Amino acid sequence: MGRAVTLPIRARARFRRLGALGVACELAALASVAVLLLVAGALAARGWGALDWGFLANPASPDPAKAGVGPAFAATLWMGIVAWTAAVPAGVGCAVYLEEYAPKTRWTSLAKSALANLAGVPPVVYGVVGLALFVRGIGLGRSLAAGGLTLAVLALPLVIAAARQAIRSVPRDLREAAYGLGATRWQVVRRQVLPAAAPGIVTGSCFAVTRAVGEAAPLVVVGAVSLTTFVPMRPGDPLTSLPTRIFDWSARSQPEFAVLAAGAALALLVFLLAMNAAATFASGRLERNGR
Amino acid sequence: MTASPTNDTPILSAQGLSVNFGRRPALTDVSLDVPRGRIVSVIGPSGCGKTTLLRSFNRMNELVAGARTTGAVRFEGTNLYAEHVDPVEVRRRIGMVFQQATPFPKSVFDNVAFGPRAGGFSGDLHGLVQEVLEAAGLWPEVAGDLDTPATSLSAGQQQRLCIARTLAVKPGVLLMDEPTSALDPTATARIESLVDALRESYTIVIATHNLQQAARLSDMTAYLDRGELVEYGPTETVFTNPGEPRTESYVTGRVL
Repeated sequence: MGRAVTLPIRARARFRRLGALGVACELAALASVAVLLLVAGALAARGWGALDWGFLANPASPDPAKAGVGPAFAATLWMGIVAWTAAVPAGVGCAVYLEEYAPKTRWTSLAKSALANLAGVPPVVYGVVGLALFVRGIGLGRSLAAGGLTLAVLALPLVIAAARQAIRSVPRDLREAAYGLGATRWQVVRRQVLPAAAPGIVTGSCFAVTRAVGEAAPLVVVGAVSLTTFVPMRPGDPLTSLPTRIFDWSARSQPEFAVLAAGAALALLVFLLAMNAAATFASGRLERNGR
Repeated sequence: MTASPTNDTPILSAQGLSVNFGRRPALTDVSLDVPRGRIVSVIGPSGCGKTTLLRSFNRMNELVAGARTTGAVRFEGTNLYAEHVDPVEVRRRIGMVFQQATPFPKSVFDNVAFGPRAGGFSGDLHGLVQEVLEAAGLWPEVAGDLDTPATSLSAGQQQRLCIARTLAVKPGVLLMDEPTSALDPTATARIESLVDALRESYTIVIATHNLQQAARLSDMTAYLDRGELVEYGPTETVFTNPGEPRTESYVTGRVL
């Protein structure tokens, strides 16, 4: 009885405090969180049973009881490293050039809008690019290196967008003060702009790379459905990955594989969330040190 | 203060200086000499070009897209806008203190050391930092902990830190762009007495909208209005017996 009366009163008080738009936004926020929890919950409910050390270490196998994600997990880790190493320095360099050096001409604004549009190109298209450029073009074959570089190209526009945003948010006053003390453009960039933008660059670029690493489509195109039976140790090893492993398993008819797919998806989700959490932590440290 | 006869050549001299931002003129045909070892104040209503004039003395305007400068600024006889002149070198010789104190998000020490380090200073950095912090009257307040973040200082302290930071590059001229406009009266008084003390060793050009400040501090006063130099002369003359009606109405507070 008491509850039935207090709830509407509370709701009304909330309405007064936030207004109609505020309440709508709050509901939207709640809905987003609910969807995320639902996805994680559904995955956990279905895939939890599959997760054990054997599953994380074993190679894929036609026998669901023996199948695991060991090589796929290691391959995704490898490609993450390749993609990060290739995309982040290039992306940050490009962002620094565009924001701090590039003359304001029609060409630079064309390049800027092209890069912004590149961030919206569907991942599968990058797969075609990777196949033509890395697998065949420079002859890397269907290797982890080719996959990693394809993911790097996919991450590059996202890294550039994040780094540009971070660099743009550095106050103009800071740059002027440094120039006023006789610093060269490079000294201003190196000593003031990059340190001030570092927290944003770190989180932005890590999110971009984890986003790319979670993609299956480009790697399917590049050729990553091989049943690798050993844990890859070199960039030249055959291409496989966690997302494509999930894709492969979820396409099979036996229900056991659906459980494995859910388990692998759960492992991928936890891995990517952990990477993003690490990036956020590192960025927080950078921000504190900068102050 | 009297200048010795050998020091009669102006240290800084604007000649037919005009600055445009895109199509908007900010300064029109300004010519003025800054005598060595003096304090020159630049007064005038908001938007009259005070800041642009100061920034044209150390080539800061060109950091703004669309800025175009014509005419000349001579420093020790050299045209700062000549082809071969490096703006970085100009800014090392002609230092600037901004309206808003902008400490770098670093320690007090690193703030002061930034300029010397950028210029490849290879001497006693600690000695230099102490010397300029003393000159800026900040030393007693920060001596105990030079590692403290500059952003944790008070607004007045931050501005004195910025002055110390500028002194550390050993400029020949100090440009101060409304250095006290964001400060309370106590902090303002401290900066003013600091400027007064610095007159012994520096030539200072200070833009201010505080007329009392200009009258108290400066030897020479320039009155700018809408990008034009209306009047320039000894401070006492400009304030008590101006030659131009526009100057008179500004310094007496009458609006035209």
